[in-house]
Amino acid sequence: MDNLRRRKAVNLAAMTLASLCAAVGLVLLFIILWDVLAQGLSSLKPRLFTQDPAPPHIPDAGGLKSAFLGQGLLTLVASLIGVPLGVLGGTFLAEYGRHLRVCRLISTLSDMAVSIPSIVIGTFAYAILVLPMRRFNGWAGAVALAIIILPIIVRTTEEMMAMVPWTLREAAFALGAPYHKVITGIVWRASMSGIFTGILLAIARVAGETAPLLFTSFNSNFFQLDMSRAVPSLTVSIYQYAASPYESWVGLAWAAAFVVTVLVLLLNIAGRIIIKFKKKN
Amino acid sequence: MEDLLSVINLDFFYGDNHALKDVTLPIRKNKITSLIGPSGCGKTTLLRCFNRMHDLYPNNRYGGEILMGGKNILGDQVDVISLRNSMGMVFQKPTPFPMSIFDNVAYGLRLKSVRNMSVLREKVEKALRQAAVWEEVKDRLNQNAQGLSGGQQQRLVIARTLAVEPQVILFDESTSALDPISSKKIEELMVELKEEVTIIAVTHNMQQAARISDYTALMYIGSLVEFDETATIFTKPKHKMTEEYVTGRFG
Repeated sequence: MDNLRRRKAVNLAAMTLASLCAAVGLVLLFIILWDVLAQGLSSLKPRLFTQDPAPPHIPDAGGLKSAFLGQGLLTLVASLIGVPLGVLGGTFLAEYGRHLRVCRLISTLSDMAVSIPSIVIGTFAYAILVLPMRRFNGWAGAVALAIIILPIIVRTTEEMMAMVPWTLREAAFALGAPYHKVITGIVWRASMSGIFTGILLAIARVAGETAPLLFTSFNSNFFQLDMSRAVPSLTVSIYQYAASPYESWVGLAWAAAFVVTVLVLLLNIAGRIIIKFKKKN
Repeated sequence: MEDLLSVINLDFFYGDNHALKDVTLPIRKNKITSLIGPSGCGKTTLLRCFNRMHDLYPNNRYGGEILMGGKNILGDQVDVISLRNSMGMVFQKPTPFPMSIFDNVAYGLRLKSVRNMSVLREKVEKALRQAAVWEEVKDRLNQNAQGLSGGQQQRLVIARTLAVEPQVILFDESTSALDPISSKKIEELMVELKEEVTIIAVTHNMQQAARISDYTALMYIGSLVEFDETATIFTKPKHKMTEEYVTGRFG
């Protein structure tokens, strides 16, 4: 009986501790969200999306239109590089290379690459793409972001494809299908929603990144989307505005932070909804 | 009695594991041949030699021959894709592809570059009728095949196999995951189908082998113990082991 009471007490203690930790995490998260919401909403004005930066002393002027476009452009180019590479790489790991030891190593390394600090990747892009060109440029920023999403997409693609039962592939082989048709017609189709979710979450991961852009595409106060030069960046603008002494700029930074948070949140929610929808079927 | 296939001194290795040992048996045309035996005896391994499924995995090796029309289908120069077109396979669990019922049945035809929609429709309907599932699915050909019941899925898979007009269909315990009524339907279907195709069926179900097959082969630890007409195997087998197995005293 004593033993039973002890087990119940330990159980209660463990549950209390876990619940407390969860509560602390949640409270912090909601404080951040509340702060961004309250501060951001009050400075959110249409000109944020319609105007370009103005000097801080001009009242009711200045926005971050080009920064939104620039950030979107960088994310788009990064996705165009990272998504095909990631999906095809993950496909190789799950299919053609599944028996190769080097592929298991690549999987493990990809898992590690997911947690490399993004500033390190920014430094790497700086060394290979900024130094030789002798100026900040959009390509370097897009490549840095692509390097961040690549391992995430590689691993989700691999895992989603590995979840497709082998007998499904064998059934297609048994009908005389060559391997590439089994992959494109059967395995991709069966794992499509999972792969798509992985892509969405990966893009959400980089859409709000600042560190990899600081040394690469940096920022520009002008409306310019030439990828061979510094490209306006929303997150770098937030970083600079938030650190400025001008109240109007700090307000803009809050509003922009609010918009980025909402966008990233929406991408994540879209990803979760797809996962849930898939599980129901 | 015409032999469609002759298995001659067949050996098979999974790496160092000698899984089939010197198996010799005939497969009679338009008959059902059952492969029975305890788990791990090599019956599924033998079945998967006929459509060279083992080629998908590394370190697998065949020895001996399986002759079809005088040609060894295990030879290096054999085109595995066209071999598999003439050897359909139905698995233990139904394997509907994640696409519509129509596209499932048309899958093999499209692989063979049949593009004409009216030809496809005609062949899909014929195959679904042959597989005795047409009446149940004809109004929902565009719905996802994974929404069908297990028994319907299995008959759909049989239709998909029939659509490419194979000479042989290999059944790998194809009724063991189904309820009794669905599995009875599949059994009846197999008996009907032998008019047009030759059937090789792996089964754990002794009564099923007795009911539907014309010939039965008993295997044990990679070797063929006995092959004969089903009636002989179940009533007066030559080997004591066969008698013990079919009466349920071992296995």
